[in-house]
Amino acid sequence: MNRHAVFWRAALLALPLAVFGVFVVWPLLDSFYYSFTDWNGFDPRYRFVGLENFARIVTDRLFTNATVNTVIWMVLALLLPTLGGLALALLLDSRAVRGANVFKSIFYLPICLSAVVVGQIWIWIYQPDWGLLNTFIEAVTGRPETFAWLAKPQSALYSVIVAWSWQQMGLSMVIFLAGLTAVPADLTEAAAIEGANRWQKTWYVVLPMLRPATVVVVALSVINSLKGFDILYIMTAGGPFHSSDTLAMFMYNESFKKYRMGYGSAISVILFLLTLAIIFFYFRQLRKLDEIHG
Amino acid sequence: MRRISPIKAAALAGALALTGGFGGGGSALAEGEVTISHYFSGELGRAGLEKIFAKFQETKGITVKDSPIGHEDFKAGILVRAAGGNLPDVFSYWAGARTQFVVDAGNLGAIDEMWAARGLDSVVAKSVADGATMYNGARYLVPFGYHYAGMFYNTKVMAEAGVTGFPTTWSGFMALCADLKAKGVAPIALGSKNRWPAQFWFDYLLLRTAGPDYRAKLMAGEAAYTDDEVKAAMALWKELVDAGYFTPNANADDWTDASDKVARGDAAMTLMGTWITGYWNGNGLMAGDDYDFFEFPAIADGVPNAVVGPVDGLLISANAPNRANAEELLAFLVSDEESQGTWAQAQGALSPNVGVDESIYTPVMKRALAAVGNADTFAFNYDLATTPPMAEHGLAMFARFMDDPSGYEGYLADTEDGAREVFGK
Amino acid sequence: MVVFVCLCVLALLFLAPTLGVILSSLKSTREIAFGALWTLPGGLYLENFREVLAHPSVKTYFANTFLVTVPATAGSIGLGILAGYVFSKLPFRGSELLFLVIVSGMFFPPQIVLIPLFRMFSGLGLLDTLWPMIIVHVAMGIPICTLLMRNFFATVPNALREAAIVEGANEWQVLTRVALPISLPALAVLATLQFTWIWNDFLWPLIFTQSDEKRTIMLGIVSLKGQYSVAWGIQGALSLVASLPTLIVFLFFQRYFIKGMTMGAIKG
Repeated sequence: MNRHAVFWRAALLALPLAVFGVFVVWPLLDSFYYSFTDWNGFDPRYRFVGLENFARIVTDRLFTNATVNTVIWMVLALLLPTLGGLALALLLDSRAVRGANVFKSIFYLPICLSAVVVGQIWIWIYQPDWGLLNTFIEAVTGRPETFAWLAKPQSALYSVIVAWSWQQMGLSMVIFLAGLTAVPADLTEAAAIEGANRWQKTWYVVLPMLRPATVVVVALSVINSLKGFDILYIMTAGGPFHSSDTLAMFMYNESFKKYRMGYGSAISVILFLLTLAIIFFYFRQLRKLDEIHG
Repeated sequence: MRRISPIKAAALAGALALTGGFGGGGSALAEGEVTISHYFSGELGRAGLEKIFAKFQETKGITVKDSPIGHEDFKAGILVRAAGGNLPDVFSYWAGARTQFVVDAGNLGAIDEMWAARGLDSVVAKSVADGATMYNGARYLVPFGYHYAGMFYNTKVMAEAGVTGFPTTWSGFMALCADLKAKGVAPIALGSKNRWPAQFWFDYLLLRTAGPDYRAKLMAGEAAYTDDEVKAAMALWKELVDAGYFTPNANADDWTDASDKVARGDAAMTLMGTWITGYWNGNGLMAGDDYDFFEFPAIADGVPNAVVGPVDGLLISANAPNRANAEELLAFLVSDEESQGTWAQAQGALSPNVGVDESIYTPVMKRALAAVGNADTFAFNYDLATTPPMAEHGLAMFARFMDDPSGYEGYLADTEDGAREVFGK
Repeated sequence: MVVFVCLCVLALLFLAPTLGVILSSLKSTREIAFGALWTLPGGLYLENFREVLAHPSVKTYFANTFLVTVPATAGSIGLGILAGYVFSKLPFRGSELLFLVIVSGMFFPPQIVLIPLFRMFSGLGLLDTLWPMIIVHVAMGIPICTLLMRNFFATVPNALREAAIVEGANEWQVLTRVALPISLPALAVLATLQFTWIWNDFLWPLIFTQSDEKRTIMLGIVSLKGQYSVAWGIQGALSLVASLPTLIVFLFFQRYFIKGMTMGAIKG
């Protein structure tokens, strides 16, 4: 039996591990190698510069700027779609809603669109002269509005995050909806009998039951937000003047626009470590949760 | 870690076996092919090239495998290919500092022999050949088309505002702007979302005040962005912005948006390269009737008359598998007058080929050609004149300036910090 | 009723952006350039769609995208099934750690491994084929597929597996005949997610394809954004056409998708 298990483990794991090792782990290590060089990408010749790239990162204003933006991005890109998705799910869960399936599809629709398409749509929405947003504001306030949402350093990052949230909200909603179907009806009925109102029911009965769904939503949000490069690339490319740079964007610009592959790789290493820290933190929280739930 | 290593070894072996199984799908090329990668992905450029490549294929029997990709994506894409040691036979690139960078990295094959054998000296205009094709003493680049940046305006808007003559001096230009603004027309449109459209302002203001020699020094890192010369140019620019002569939200617009504003009559003029004529023609505007241009006015006395613009070049990579075919293609693209004409018309470009008959040009392009011919110097625009890392700093500065010009001295100081790092000053 | 009105307003807000693309796709470039993007089109202008659908490259783009997306989706799910099964039913010393290493793979921004992967595929002579995209998407999909499949298989009672083993089945047979048939909802979730992600990706095609014949549809959209000209209406039409397959996949799998998410969410 045990020998069999050993055989089957090896047989079943061989292919996934091989592919993962060769095409994910190895390139990761390979890229770290360049973080100790001054490679410019074009030139086959390069020098080893030790920790010079890392020393430079510490004093690089643009790096600090990108780090702050990354934190903002991660926090908001986690909160907005999650809370929005939860709200939508709770609204839709009232089983009496007519056409619930139509609504679900509408809210889910943006997920099916690519970053390329979503980015383009939102560029048109934020367009200062004839964009939908300013047109709407004008209609409401009656005053002409020409604020350039994507072109102002104080709003560019947040405007992209809103577009991102619009796209991601549907996914959170679906998962929360799925979680909601697992809430036993007799539980909410019991609460109702005991005199709980709608909010109390939601807060004390429904939300605690959504914990596992939340775990999935948070994981997906974090994954997607760390990868939230495409939409930034399409919408602002980190601009105007770096105000919406995230670490991934910053790394891309240093590597590919300034031709500093070595320095870009060093930024990758930092990004990697940051990601590791997040993963570590997340899994630890998960484990705690597991312990609570037995 | 040690416990994982046998798994990793197994993984490697497995993957090698896996990829081995795919063999044969490689990039071995059949004879009679040449691969080219370029950034002429726009509707008009693409259509023009298809026609040109078809003719090349017909006359030379060599198949062109091309892959157009948008401007910005091209920059990254070609770098990845260079880094991976897999450049196409031929790729388009901008003459100047960017090509220099690729030459320095040893990625290009020199074409002196081909140039001489095909007699390209008598084909390519000397003014273009001198500045754009030679790097480190060898010839690398074949010019495919070039552009001139001028002040393009909407003729109807100008006529309605009662403008009859166009300024040749700075005071005249300021008066024109004031006049237009007083009549309720926004004088200048600028779409600096992708930053580079703003550079023509910096280029011309600096060239017309401090002159081409000083600018060349600044581009090479031998002068400082905190010098009085640069500050003076920026101060002039600031005057224009402060007076409200630019349309608001320049950073929100693409150059095409700014062009649309002028075409619609929402603004009177825009400082842009001749490719704007290709764009406008494509949208049904008539050269001369709907739009025209005037040259950027003189500012300081005694400064040589420089014009600004980019040269689109074609390069052959150092290890091109189809080198002979690549040379054939380059020679054809610049020498075939019909193709050069097709291209000039599709892109709104000027042809570097001296044999191309002027009659192919619109009246506006004829004047652009004359403007280049009358100039003392042809200077590359900012992001082609200075090294790519430096250009990133400078372009960011322009965008920042257009957002809020009041802090320009501080921006210049930051830019100089960047320059010190880039040039190792 | 309040809820219903709320939902209607939200739905309208959600639809507005998409409506913008639809409107743009029904207008000529000239019309858009002259400032009429959001207004209702004057007439039914279908030229953009005709041009997009008639364009020979667009057909190639579509074919390529299918040729990448379908095998890569299947491949990543297949590998996820194998790994997920071992991690849930045949755990060993250190398997937890190995599992974490694999799962953490899904958190990394792909830009990090761009250049090394390009060098690797260049060395293997696979550039400008569809293989790099397929392989990379399979590899990058392993973490999420492994995670979801492990969680799903965890819901399959051990007693079922043991009973089958006692009856002489081997692990492969348990996997294919016992565990997989009850995991169809999980497969639907993964199929939808992976299909959407891979279909919509443009970074890898950007890097790995060189000739127009190997482009995928998203890259096709991006490459239409030219240097010297724009064609918004065509972009809009192409965007819509390009988004159809992911929409169809979602609508097709919707029921299973939600069911699968339910189980995943409960047992997360």
